[in-house]
Amino acid sequence: MQLFFLSVGFGLVTASVVAIASVGLTLQFGVTNYVNFAYGDFLTLGAYLTWTLNSAFGWNFWLALIAGSFGVGVAALIISQVVLEPFVRKGGPLLIILVVTFGLSLILANTILAVWGADYKQYNVPLENPISIGPLLLTADQLGIIALSIAVMVAIHLVLTRTKLGKAMRAMSDDKNLASVSGIPARQVTALVWLLSGVLAGLGGGVLALNVATFDSSIGVTFLFVIFAAVILGGIGKPYGAMLGALIIGMAVELSSVWIPSQYKLDVAFVLLVLVLLTRPQGLMSVLGKA
Amino acid sequence: MDTPLAYYLANLAVYFLIYCMLTMGLNISFGMTGILDFAYITFMAVGAYVAGVVALGPATLDSQMTYILGLNWPFPLPLIAGGVAAGLFGALVGLLAMRRLRSDYLAIVLVATWSISWNLASNFTGLFNGTTGLLNVPQPLATNFNADPNSYVYVFIPIAAICVVLFFVVAYRIERSPFGRALRAIRSDPDVAAAFGKRTMRLRLQAMMMGCMYAGLAGALTILYIGAMNPSAWAIVETVIVFSALLVGGRGNVFGAILGALLVRIVIIEGTGLLPQVPNHPELLGALRNIAIGVLIIIVMYFRPQGVLPERRRRYELKPRRAQRVREAARDSA
Repeated sequence: MQLFFLSVGFGLVTASVVAIASVGLTLQFGVTNYVNFAYGDFLTLGAYLTWTLNSAFGWNFWLALIAGSFGVGVAALIISQVVLEPFVRKGGPLLIILVVTFGLSLILANTILAVWGADYKQYNVPLENPISIGPLLLTADQLGIIALSIAVMVAIHLVLTRTKLGKAMRAMSDDKNLASVSGIPARQVTALVWLLSGVLAGLGGGVLALNVATFDSSIGVTFLFVIFAAVILGGIGKPYGAMLGALIIGMAVELSSVWIPSQYKLDVAFVLLVLVLLTRPQGLMSVLGKA
Repeated sequence: MDTPLAYYLANLAVYFLIYCMLTMGLNISFGMTGILDFAYITFMAVGAYVAGVVALGPATLDSQMTYILGLNWPFPLPLIAGGVAAGLFGALVGLLAMRRLRSDYLAIVLVATWSISWNLASNFTGLFNGTTGLLNVPQPLATNFNADPNSYVYVFIPIAAICVVLFFVVAYRIERSPFGRALRAIRSDPDVAAAFGKRTMRLRLQAMMMGCMYAGLAGALTILYIGAMNPSAWAIVETVIVFSALLVGGRGNVFGAILGALLVRIVIIEGTGLLPQVPNHPELLGALRNIAIGVLIIIVMYFRPQGVLPERRRRYELKPRRAQRVREAARDSA
């Protein structure tokens, strides 16, 4: 039973990490309508930028995380405007833009490898004793991840419902052409969504790296399909669906290690992904309409 | 024949031939049918591992390896087993992934397939000896020709060449057959193809299976030549590189696939391999090479998405008498 509650605690933390990252992916998909296969490398970039600020410059981890994430946001903005948008404007089959993001992933992964090298990295954070909250045992860092995730989810909810940008995003996600003729500045909204998607990827990558303690340049790519699983489970392009998907996937991944060896725990996400695609490819939240 | 240069070039010829198998297979599934097979290198690995465990004897304590099967079958059975296993695995993945899915969902499932396979092969050592991988796989016909490690390459070139020529002919025939035409129709618009009575699911599965079989044969040839295979040889990067070769050469055209193998495998990968290593940064050169390949993909997709050798455009015209009848029928109905 102790192992079970320990896993529930880890599950909450992993769900928090997945939630931040998958909302970023799904928001961008909703507006642009294509999957970004370089998203895993955005996560990696976030982890490394945070590491540089934290370990090399000696910043506090959370401060470094926020600054690093804005770095990823700016990178995502530049990449989308310089590389991806020209392809979108040119038109052509969906296939081409997907291959381009796949190629982009190769470029980003190897740029990171060239800049930061292949050795394992670790954040400069003090070791702490876990605090028990009810039956759960969590460290302060893990509680920080959960709190950050909740804050991000609330912020996203407020942006989507209370701001013009959020309304524009929802409108574009429903029907791009209709949104354009209604006077929504589609190009500016797309650019801002890429910035937001990059920031969320950066935050996700940073807390993921904090959660796994040591990391190398493959951290984002190995986690990518856990994010995909959460996104598809919730219905691709739907932010609230992604939050629900993240909770299910995060819990499933961590709880599975009660019964199966933990090196296979990420594969549980894959099994869930396949099950969802076979039975309900539109995702769990499709009835509720797009966010 | 014995100079280091001749040996190097012969070795390179083998790698080129194997890469041709890879690009020709991807040309059938991705180039002609438009299936975004982002798991492609997995099927190469499946072919290699299966060929390896079929060619190796039973795993013993002496060999210090753990793996399944160990059948000790003679050549060419390992090669065939590798191709068949990869084809079947491809069909299985296709069955799971192609139902009702748009192309980006399919691509996601395929990336996930690579990820889970890679994880499984690395962690479950009982399958294919984990991260160490298979070693000392016997080289086919080496004893028959009394070949030593230096001269064996000349035994293997004909084996690889026969394979490539045979499957080049198959690919060439598929491209010009009604089957190939149906595949291209599905790529352009699956719904229209279905409306014309093409069984799109079945045809896509067949294309996927063919492509994976080519990949499996490429993998089998690799392990039979090199004698070893481990997970580092099939990182996800390798899939991107095969894609880049096909995209640069020309997708949908089997000659484009060959040209792409030449340009990417030989000119870029071998060419950058000849550059001096940067001291203290062993991974830098490879990283820069991969960045260049990624940039190449983006540039080609923007400025020449059809590749250097574009797909052959076929014109379809009715024979004069049939055309006459169609015109009359149109007039009557009007």
